Amino acid sequence: MNPHLPHATHIAVRDGHILGVGTADDIDSWQAAWGPLDINTDFALRTLLPGFIEGHSHMMEGMFWDYHYVGYYDREGPDGTVWPGLKSIDEVVAKLKEIQATRKDKDTPLVAWGFDPIYFTDRRMNAADLDSVATDCAVIVLHASLHILNANNFVMEAADAKGSDNSEFIRRDDNGQPTGEFLGQLGFYMAMRTTGINLLAIASSPETLVNFANVARQTGVTTATDLVNPMPAGSEKPMREAVDADDFPMRLVVAFQGNSKEPEEAVARVQELQASNSDKLRFSIVKMVADGSIQGFSARLKWPHYYNGAPNGLWYIEPERLAEYLKAFTKAGIQVHVHTNGDECTEVALDKIEEALREHPWPDHRHTLQHCQMATRAHFKRMKSLGVGVNLFSNHLYYWGDAHINITMGAERAARLDDAGGALAEGVALAIHSDAPVTALAPLFTAWCAVNRLSSGGVVLGNGTQNISVEEALYAITMGAAYSLKMENEVGSLEAGKRADIAILGDNPLEVEPLKLKDISVIGTMVGGHVHLNQGRD
Amino acid sequence: MTKPAPIPLSIISGFLGSGKTSLLNHLLTQADGRRITALVNDFGALNIDAELIAAKHGNQIALANGCVCCSIGDDLMRSFIEVMQQTPLPDHIIIEASGVAEPSRIAGFAAVDPQLRLDGIITLVDAAAHATHANDPHLADNYRKQIEAAHLLLISKADLSDAENLAALAAELQTLRPEVPQAQAVHGRVPIDVVLGLNADEGADAVTQPPKGDIDHGLVHWAGHIAPLPRAEIIKKLETLRPHALRAKGVLRDDDGAYVLHLAGGRISTQAFDGDASGHFVIIGKPQMPDAAALENLFSHGEAA
Repeated sequence: MNPHLPHATHIAVRDGHILGVGTADDIDSWQAAWGPLDINTDFALRTLLPGFIEGHSHMMEGMFWDYHYVGYYDREGPDGTVWPGLKSIDEVVAKLKEIQATRKDKDTPLVAWGFDPIYFTDRRMNAADLDSVATDCAVIVLHASLHILNANNFVMEAADAKGSDNSEFIRRDDNGQPTGEFLGQLGFYMAMRTTGINLLAIASSPETLVNFANVARQTGVTTATDLVNPMPAGSEKPMREAVDADDFPMRLVVAFQGNSKEPEEAVARVQELQASNSDKLRFSIVKMVADGSIQGFSARLKWPHYYNGAPNGLWYIEPERLAEYLKAFTKAGIQVHVHTNGDECTEVALDKIEEALREHPWPDHRHTLQHCQMATRAHFKRMKSLGVGVNLFSNHLYYWGDAHINITMGAERAARLDDAGGALAEGVALAIHSDAPVTALAPLFTAWCAVNRLSSGGVVLGNGTQNISVEEALYAITMGAAYSLKMENEVGSLEAGKRADIAILGDNPLEVEPLKLKDISVIGTMVGGHVHLNQGRD
Repeated sequence: MTKPAPIPLSIISGFLGSGKTSLLNHLLTQADGRRITALVNDFGALNIDAELIAAKHGNQIALANGCVCCSIGDDLMRSFIEVMQQTPLPDHIIIEASGVAEPSRIAGFAAVDPQLRLDGIITLVDAAAHATHANDPHLADNYRKQIEAAHLLLISKADLSDAENLAALAAELQTLRPEVPQAQAVHGRVPIDVVLGLNADEGADAVTQPPKGDIDHGLVHWAGHIAPLPRAEIIKKLETLRPHALRAKGVLRDDDGAYVLHLAGGRISTQAFDGDASGHFVIIGKPQMPDAAALENLFSHGEAA
């Protein structure tokens, strides 16, 4: 990723930094100046890339290892246990039965996560499936999207799911019977109230942090973000201790939740947090959320609004208040990442950023629009003029691409969904992301999405002008994301003087079929010179 | 074990600057022993009188009069879960919604949770900014939804608006929501019994306490005795007052037994009551309501109004 030296065979590391990148011929000169180096050939047949940077994820990803993984792909738990991918609903049920048979406290709710119905097209999971696991305690299976959960009849009865008029959040079959799927916020609320467990509690414990880092590490990530955290007083201290530990395998950038305090107090709190910055932990940015989600019909869309005629979505903050916050942070020199999904919201966010910049000019503010999924070429041109960057939610193309074509936007507007090609063509600084745990955290998968623009239903979104090349996608998950976090001087490329953050891959992404990009195995990572290997990868 | 009665949920909606915080503050000072939990968008904007605050911890402020405030942050669901885990549970939950919230979506929580019931959505309409809000290119739909969801419309900042403007606004709101009562709220000063106890959810339990509190709000207050006439007749009389009466309640008796009579959210309802009927009745209304002597006359005699 260093344009002066795009390919090399050897890399030397000293004191957590890159001493040099080159060939076998450089070893002597490195040793002459710096003393003997240990020669490690373990990765001689591997491909080394700059460590991946996940510019929009959430620490909550780390919380789920308290529950049981039932996803489609093999996944290594934070303790090194490999959880094999489950390839059918029957396999998921069998796994849950095995867990129920062996766990100690059989009356407590049994919660599993990572279930992804996208892979099971013949039928959907239902309450009877989970009744076969247990009938006298709650059995809950969280979908990977975190917008749906399956439950057994124990939960349905407690929630009175069969009785009331609740079609919005309980899926029903053709005969009008509830199937056991709880949908959306209200569905989750019902399931949580009846089981008494808070499935989505604020994740903040050091264990959660370590779990999160390990999940990210397995996918080649060396720097990740917790892209919104209210950081209550004193919470930075345990966080700093956890992240600074040598065996903590990742750098972490925490975005302060801007509206958790009044603008002036929020500025003061961010400045206070920045005193706790270290090599591995950064409180450099602020997050503001301006609208909802497209698939939840809570994003703000420009006319003609939603394709299926649903009413326009929600503002999550008054535009006037957004402006107040942007002004305060811009004045104080604090970079803001604004969540905008719909195109109306993107436009209003740009209006407000412009308003803030007219009051407080700042040449390199680098305020960034996060998700920004429906931006038009006109929006990208304006972002370029204003110096605003974008971090697109490319994983959406796969997970919700079909829904956007058929339900939310229609094919014409869905063609420009997460238009990475458009952003680059208009000269906008680009990163791409997973929003984990909303979708799977795996930068190579995110890159695959941006390169191929393939939906889970097998449809290609757009006409080719929106796709980016593999090189451009790799740049987006390294230097692109580093730039969006103002860390491009430290990480994002392999060159002398930068931090020794490396992703170790089983294959060269530039040599495999673009459609195989997501299948490249991640052998491990190096973070600041420390190697972290995945179990059982080749 | 009997199931506890569901907790009433009131939602205060209205645009930024429409006076939601003033109203909430005023309600909290009138709590009068009720354990109210208020959910607010952020603490910064809620300038709670310092002498009301008993303790502060995390995202909660405990008030000396039995109220607790929690900040919503970005996650209403999480806040609801936390509130419903409180012991003891509050007597009433008030949500100060964000200026851009859709109150009907918030009301969804009460619809799905058997331990909650929607008491009412109170939407504040800023008299001075109404035209701006109604025509905002990005917010007009939101503004309309807030008015459409209301069970009570409170016109705020009336003191910053002229009579002609106020009359036009009242007429416009009347056209949009003919069945919904309106009242003015200057600096949030509205009696708690006008705002809470709207019983938007028909299945509400009987309220047996007559309204309390000082009535220094530009509203008039009548308390008197109602003759034991057949309830249909009493309802007919009360209906004649409906355009100007905002809230009424009392425990009455006729040949069919004791019952609670409510006027709330523009609706009159009755519920059987297991206990003694006092015949005491209280009405809060606008100044246009007939005066005390007229009301006395109306309710103490058999003659129709």
